[in-house]
Amino acid sequence: MAGEQIAETGAVKAVRWAAVAVPATLAVWFLSMIPAVESAPIRVAWDWVPTMGVDLAFRVDGLGLLFALLITVIGTFIFLFSASYMKGYPASGRFTFILLAFMLSMLGVVTADNLILIFIFWELTSITSFLLIGTDFKNPEGRRAATQALVVTGGGGLALMAGMILLGEAAGTYSLTAILEAGSIAGHELYGGILVLVLIGAFTKSAQFPFHFWLPQAMAAPTPVSAYLHSATMVKAGVFLLARLHPVLSGTPEWEVTLTLFGGVTAVMASVVALRQTDLKKMLAYTTVMGLGTITLFLAGSGEAAVMAAVTFILVHALYKSALFMVAGTVDHEAYARDINRLGGLARAMPFTAAAAALAALSMGGLPPFIGFIGKELIYEGALEATFAAPFVIIMALAANAMMLGVGLILALDPFWLNRDRRPHLGHHGTVHEAPPSMWAGPVLLSLVGLGLGLFPGAASKWLIGPVTAAVYGEPVPVSLSLWHGINAPLMLSLLTFALGAVVFWMRNPIRRGVAGVLWAMPGSADDVYDAFLRGIHAMGRGFMRAFQNGSLVGYMWTLLAFTAAVLWATLIGTGALANVPMPSQLPDLFLYEWAVVGLIGAGSIVAVLAASRLLAIIALSGVGSGIALLYVFFGAPDVATTQLMVETLLVVLLALILLRLPGFRVTEKGWRRSGLLDGTLSVALGVAITVILMGVTAGTLDMVIPDFYAQRSVIDAHGRNIVNVILVDFRALDTMGEVTVIALAGLAAYALIKLRSDGDHDKIASAPVTAPEKNRETV
Amino acid sequence: MTALGNIAPAAPEVFMAIAGMALLMIGVFQKGDATKLVGWLAVGVLVVAGFLVLMAAPETVTAFNGQFISDRFAIFAKVLVLGASALSLVLAMVWLAQEDMKRYEFSVLVVFATLGMMMMVSANNLMALYLGLELQSLALYVMAAFKRDSVRSTEAGLKYFVLGSVASGLLLYGASLIYGFSGSTSFPVLAEVLSHGTPTGVIVGLVFVMAGLAFKVSAVPFHMWTPDVYEGAPTPVTAFFAVAPKIAALALFVRVMMGPFADLVDQWQQVIVLIAILSMLVGAFGAILQSNIKRLMAYSSIGHMGFALMGLAAASPNGVRGLLIYLAIYIFMNIGTFAIILSMRQKGRAVEGVADLAGLSRTMPGMATALTIFMFSMAGIPPLAGFFAKFYVFMAAIEAGFFTMAVIGVLSSAVGAYYYLRIVKVMWFDEPVDTFDRPAMTNQVVLWGSAAMMFVLFIWAAPLIAGAQMAALSLFPG
Repeated sequence: MAGEQIAETGAVKAVRWAAVAVPATLAVWFLSMIPAVESAPIRVAWDWVPTMGVDLAFRVDGLGLLFALLITVIGTFIFLFSASYMKGYPASGRFTFILLAFMLSMLGVVTADNLILIFIFWELTSITSFLLIGTDFKNPEGRRAATQALVVTGGGGLALMAGMILLGEAAGTYSLTAILEAGSIAGHELYGGILVLVLIGAFTKSAQFPFHFWLPQAMAAPTPVSAYLHSATMVKAGVFLLARLHPVLSGTPEWEVTLTLFGGVTAVMASVVALRQTDLKKMLAYTTVMGLGTITLFLAGSGEAAVMAAVTFILVHALYKSALFMVAGTVDHEAYARDINRLGGLARAMPFTAAAAALAALSMGGLPPFIGFIGKELIYEGALEATFAAPFVIIMALAANAMMLGVGLILALDPFWLNRDRRPHLGHHGTVHEAPPSMWAGPVLLSLVGLGLGLFPGAASKWLIGPVTAAVYGEPVPVSLSLWHGINAPLMLSLLTFALGAVVFWMRNPIRRGVAGVLWAMPGSADDVYDAFLRGIHAMGRGFMRAFQNGSLVGYMWTLLAFTAAVLWATLIGTGALANVPMPSQLPDLFLYEWAVVGLIGAGSIVAVLAASRLLAIIALSGVGSGIALLYVFFGAPDVATTQLMVETLLVVLLALILLRLPGFRVTEKGWRRSGLLDGTLSVALGVAITVILMGVTAGTLDMVIPDFYAQRSVIDAHGRNIVNVILVDFRALDTMGEVTVIALAGLAAYALIKLRSDGDHDKIASAPVTAPEKNRETV
Repeated sequence: MTALGNIAPAAPEVFMAIAGMALLMIGVFQKGDATKLVGWLAVGVLVVAGFLVLMAAPETVTAFNGQFISDRFAIFAKVLVLGASALSLVLAMVWLAQEDMKRYEFSVLVVFATLGMMMMVSANNLMALYLGLELQSLALYVMAAFKRDSVRSTEAGLKYFVLGSVASGLLLYGASLIYGFSGSTSFPVLAEVLSHGTPTGVIVGLVFVMAGLAFKVSAVPFHMWTPDVYEGAPTPVTAFFAVAPKIAALALFVRVMMGPFADLVDQWQQVIVLIAILSMLVGAFGAILQSNIKRLMAYSSIGHMGFALMGLAAASPNGVRGLLIYLAIYIFMNIGTFAIILSMRQKGRAVEGVADLAGLSRTMPGMATALTIFMFSMAGIPPLAGFFAKFYVFMAAIEAGFFTMAVIGVLSSAVGAYYYLRIVKVMWFDEPVDTFDRPAMTNQVVLWGSAAMMFVLFIWAAPLIAGAQMAALSLFPG
């Protein structure tokens, strides 16, 4: 790694090395579980949130155990690798802890026995992945990649949460064991929603098209992270989930079609793009996407062969891919380059790394006697049995496998055995050394495991593939893997694959140029779509702001009232109340002077709205009030009228007194474009609504209990015939006194404030120092 | 005593009213600066009131001729309100000292506002409701404009006052319509009357009441004051606004909807669903572009109110439980975040830009870690308490069959996560610009306490959930 070397303390170094013990111990522990799990799943549980049925429950069955072993065994080598690789990286101690946290979360995902628990660990892996991708925070590309990975996988995680809740609702429990026992829920009405949400979660995590773009970007992370999270474990969480829920969700046309299409498209697209890459890590990243697509493609089926192909390929892929990533990291670390066009002839200087690369790449290419070959045979077997779009599946599988062989040959040959003339330009002053054993041990051993499992397929099928297939398929399946099945269709397809793969390798340079040309001509990549999506969100945010949040009080008020009016009208119409409001069939028979008063009220309202000065508006409003008082007089309520007039007069006098002292009335709102039409519509909408309501009110019969009470008691109790007066000054004397006090105090306060201002003291108040408490107390 | 009936259930409120007035007197007659003394006394008053609330019998009892009710729901909400008020007051006192603002009135206003909130939570009558609401609001208007030599603060206060008055007016209008058409302002009587049939006038009145209440919880489209007021008001006031009044207003909202208007659920449910959806969306999209962290928190709180309202929209015991859990967790997330915002001071001057947080992980790793915890929790990412908050309301919404709302909720959480993460990114990945002053001890205590709660309420969630469950069930008779 060509980064700046910083001095590090012994403690940090010790942390890096000591961390290896954790996955190693766990690996031994999980290995010891193999015999037990072969017969029945191991389960432990503690209560956590019993009211919700969320338990701290764990379950290790074949599937969980396979993943747990991958996580811990590969993890051991990764920690070993990173102990040397991360030397000199800033904050490598923190890095080690986050990597450990990731490993534990990932183990949680694969062993949790509760849907919610799975989700919790799932999100934890997203967060730790975010932190790990952004380890090199000086690199802007890494920062962007980290955020992008978290936005995509975290967002998908939320969809998964909704899916899990729905699944829990549908199954009536969150316990995975119980759900698996209950079997398929395909007939449930929520099935569609569950499927979509769970698939979004799984596809984002496992980088399926169209969410695949974050994974190649995430290669900005240090190589141990790429090898561990982004090839062997975290990205497998998506396919793990698909496998985990396979007995519950599979077997429907929706499941089969969706997975086949997305998996197939992902696999082929990624393997084509992989051929275009020259960066070792990018190339590996795209083949990872391709591998994930293949697994998804085969999880689509519900036959034994398809399931067996998928789970075998999970194992195969994890073994060779993590080895190859570590090889890429080692090359980068020692030769200071990872571009295939700059690398060459490293085999002599780095024999162990070259050997590991060759072994892993051969397994990747599916050559016998590696486990990769068995995996490929199973894939063809599964493809031939596919119930949906079998030709499509076969062609996809063939194309993907051939290109994978091509890429495998490129990875194994180009940097190590070919182009020897490039070697002097590599490394530190042209000298390249083999990496320390801690770095090549992992790749070598992992690829040897790939070879060993291929040579002894019986062990692999009994201890690993058999239990896993049973867990995914839902019931025990006879599994016997072997290298030689006789001459059959899969073997023929394999031979065809070898031929095509050789052609791809041979033609690699023209193909690279060709693919680059095609990609260049494409209108936009998914990464561009991601950017456009973010831009869209920003634009939406700006739109919201402009429309509603412009700082204008008038605008705010408008929105507030408009929504109220809308809901009012919806209520009036929705409840059918509008139809029941009695509408006068003809104009009421009024005297001329009554019409005049109505005219006064109307004119007053209009003037109040249009008034250019406050005083005029107040006077116009008082005209409205007086008009109403007159109406009271006409309809035989002189007492109410008197009160109304008095209050009206008092208010006008008070307000006029205050307003006369205020500065002129100006429209200062600039942000809100006043539109007379809009304002008018709103006023009419609200006014008519209130009128309709009032007409409804007056149409009903009035409950006479209270009026009768006052009519009977006012003379007897209070010796007054003006009922309103009696109520105000007798029955509710305390209330009235309170009101009078409030008005008097308000008037006084207003007067005091205005007096302060008119005394020319304005600036003094505005700048009154907050530090002078005595002064403050005076001005309050 | 007979005229008032038994006032024992209102003992905490009575105590606070008397104590509040006493504090005012102490402040007025104390020679020299009384800010600190009155402040700590006020914290004491809130704590004592908290004990009084907890000591009360958990059974449902009423006081003041049925105007006031005390039940498990009220107790739960009051404990939250008092805790939120006390924590924000503690933070505010540090700020008052830092800004050299010697005004004891602040603490007195907090006590009276809190008293108003407790009345709201315990309201069992439209009149008691209005009384509590106004007591709270009037105190809050003054607090928003507390830094009265700042144009932004006075603008905030004035805007809040004008819009708040309109909202109060709508609510009052609605309340009088309801009274007119049903003949009562008492919640139990209303529930009884409305179970026999619903006059249209009551529905119309309910629309107005809901508009008023939605304003107080700052739900969209009654939210417009929130960003302006949050940004303009002094930061500790914003911190206070973000927690205590929200809890009280939501609790009141729940009590009104689930109590007297429970039989009208078909009428109001759609409206609540609508404002919940709008709040979640505006909260999510509005926050993205904000560069001022207080304004960002305003949108964040709008979004959170939307999520909490999902619980009310479900109109079920599980929904109310989800809402209460949400609120409890919401307090700690917000108080902790504001403890950090209040610690954002450079050379004695407060800053409030998101960009000012750049590189915090290197200059102050502890604070950056804590803020990261709060941001992740607000985004609803486990293993933090914010996850359970969202989980329970989603669950209630799904149980009630509101799939669209739940899906929109999920989408807005994703957008929300994006802007919370932006802050995380700024802190961890951007180059530091300037270091902050060393945060006050009090802020650190509050901040780490709240951060710890994010884990405690996640790992040991059962007691909170059980408490919220009992509180929610007390609203559902039988």
